[in-house]
Amino acid sequence: MLVFAISDKGGTGRSVTSSNIVYRRALQGQDVCYLDFDFGSPTVGAIFRVSTASRGTTKGGMHRYLEGEIPEPTRIDVWTESDRDAIRAKPAGAGQMVLLPGDEGGGEFATFDGEMLKRCVRLFAGLHEQFDLIMVDLSAGRSFAAHLALAATAQLPRIPARWLVFHRWTRQHIIAANGLVRGDHGLLDVGVEHGHDRDALIDRIRFVRTAVLELGSGDFAHLRPAQRSWLNEIDRELRELATRHGVGLTTMLGKVPLDPVLQWREQLISDDDVAGTEIANPETVFAFDDLAKKIVDDTAWEGL
Amino acid sequence: MLIMGEVRTGLLQNSAEIEERDHQAVLGLLAGERVRMSRRPIVYAVSPDLLTGVDCRLPSASRARIRGVGTVVSRSSITGGRVLQGSSYVRVTRGEVNYRLPWSHYLARPGVVEVLGKVSGPDVADGFLAFGAPGEHLDLGSVSDRFMDVVQESPVLDLRAPFRSNRTRLRWVAETGEPGVHFTLGEGQERTLKVTHQGEFSPAVVDLCEDLALHDWLLTTLLTIVQRARIGGASRPEVSARLAPAVDTLLHLWMPGARIHPSLAALWESLERTPGFSRQWQSLVERIRDQLAVNTLALLRETNG
Repeated sequence: MLVFAISDKGGTGRSVTSSNIVYRRALQGQDVCYLDFDFGSPTVGAIFRVSTASRGTTKGGMHRYLEGEIPEPTRIDVWTESDRDAIRAKPAGAGQMVLLPGDEGGGEFATFDGEMLKRCVRLFAGLHEQFDLIMVDLSAGRSFAAHLALAATAQLPRIPARWLVFHRWTRQHIIAANGLVRGDHGLLDVGVEHGHDRDALIDRIRFVRTAVLELGSGDFAHLRPAQRSWLNEIDRELRELATRHGVGLTTMLGKVPLDPVLQWREQLISDDDVAGTEIANPETVFAFDDLAKKIVDDTAWEGL
Repeated sequence: MLIMGEVRTGLLQNSAEIEERDHQAVLGLLAGERVRMSRRPIVYAVSPDLLTGVDCRLPSASRARIRGVGTVVSRSSITGGRVLQGSSYVRVTRGEVNYRLPWSHYLARPGVVEVLGKVSGPDVADGFLAFGAPGEHLDLGSVSDRFMDVVQESPVLDLRAPFRSNRTRLRWVAETGEPGVHFTLGEGQERTLKVTHQGEFSPAVVDLCEDLALHDWLLTTLLTIVQRARIGGASRPEVSARLAPAVDTLLHLWMPGARIHPSLAALWESLERTPGFSRQWQSLVERIRDQLAVNTLALLRETNG
């Protein structure tokens, strides 16, 4: 299955959340890979702590492959090449976890041609043969990478494809996430342009809320009553706004709580970070696990 | 003269074995040419030979700049309606002139790559078997891969394979001499094979390499499935469910040497002694069947209270 991670704004935690989903899925025994389609800023290697690709690879990555300069993009086996001991210890029964990094010094494409589209289609089809989950991390905002992904999936109707739109739980982000999907030149418009059916495509798009504050949790025990009721009021307004903009509960796949580890250092959260050093919250891992299961759970994707 | 090739092997992307009548549509890569089929002891279909023109550097262990011009011969095959292979090879020879001739010259010599200038066969062979960075030299694997991709794109296939698997890459070189065969398992999906055969090179050597690549892939894939099943670690029904695709898809495909010319049969036999393909396969198959039997018994005990 192809899963595309996209967001309208930067700083939504799109890359760190999708990396962690991939990691949880691998721990659940599936073969997974992660494609860095954020051509302007190919830094996913840093999240996986693969130092040879922390700013993209120099050995020929996604950008050069799509340009037709190399026959296949470099693959990095995260289990063996990560610098973090906790990640390098591959647990029994875990699946393959492979990173396909971008190129160091690559840039956004200004456009794409038929040849590039062919190469993209071939890449996706080849990866589908090998991996249960292919996570494609697209850059923030409207990009040619997103156009390319829409055009390629339109040519691969037999490979299941799903879209995750990441947004923070704020007014601006809710409006922007809706705009990215339904606005002018949004995902639906561009998808239809490339041959997708609008209704079928919309059923394949779900929203993921990130850095969410849980009002019922213990974190708020120290707040003054006035602050708490103000937050409740804002949250209610946001929920109404989200429903009006089609970003409400019915189209939400899951949410990731605010976790300092994700805010200050974007990284994979291992079980040791929760149970051993306790720097990360168990709710965060629970949220990732839940998302990793829901991505492939057809009942979470039934037509609305 | 040096002969070298690369075979890539993978799972055909379809939920079930494909029917005999679908092979023509799936492997008919050249309009008007028939797909050849044999039905015993296992269904096997092979595409017509396809030529790819090349003008590029050849691999070299000493990093010499060697330019070769000519054509690569490739074919795709499907075994048991399940396993797909892409296979390409070339004969590397010294060209008579040091400049590129008109294409008609090379097209009249299918599968021959002529070197412009000096060349040492062992140097090219060692460079080839070292699996350098892709894209720098003549990349027979990419050519094989491309023909596999074309097959996988066929609208006949539903792309719902029963499990995910890797394509293996087997690079081989063949020369004339005292008969012998040397197989090495490299990192990841890479394998190398050196074949020495009596008399002139014949396509039967390619059949041998493809057959070996097929069985190495079966063994590699079955090993992965057994490892992932976490026998002893996961619950019994889970283990059985994870082993099931192997039983449905792979176990009956093991038929080493089925299409090997009798003159090369001794080479397969030596591979059966070391590393002992069939021995390892047999022990894996027995392990799977024992697991399924034990798990079924446990299930029966539970249901009978």
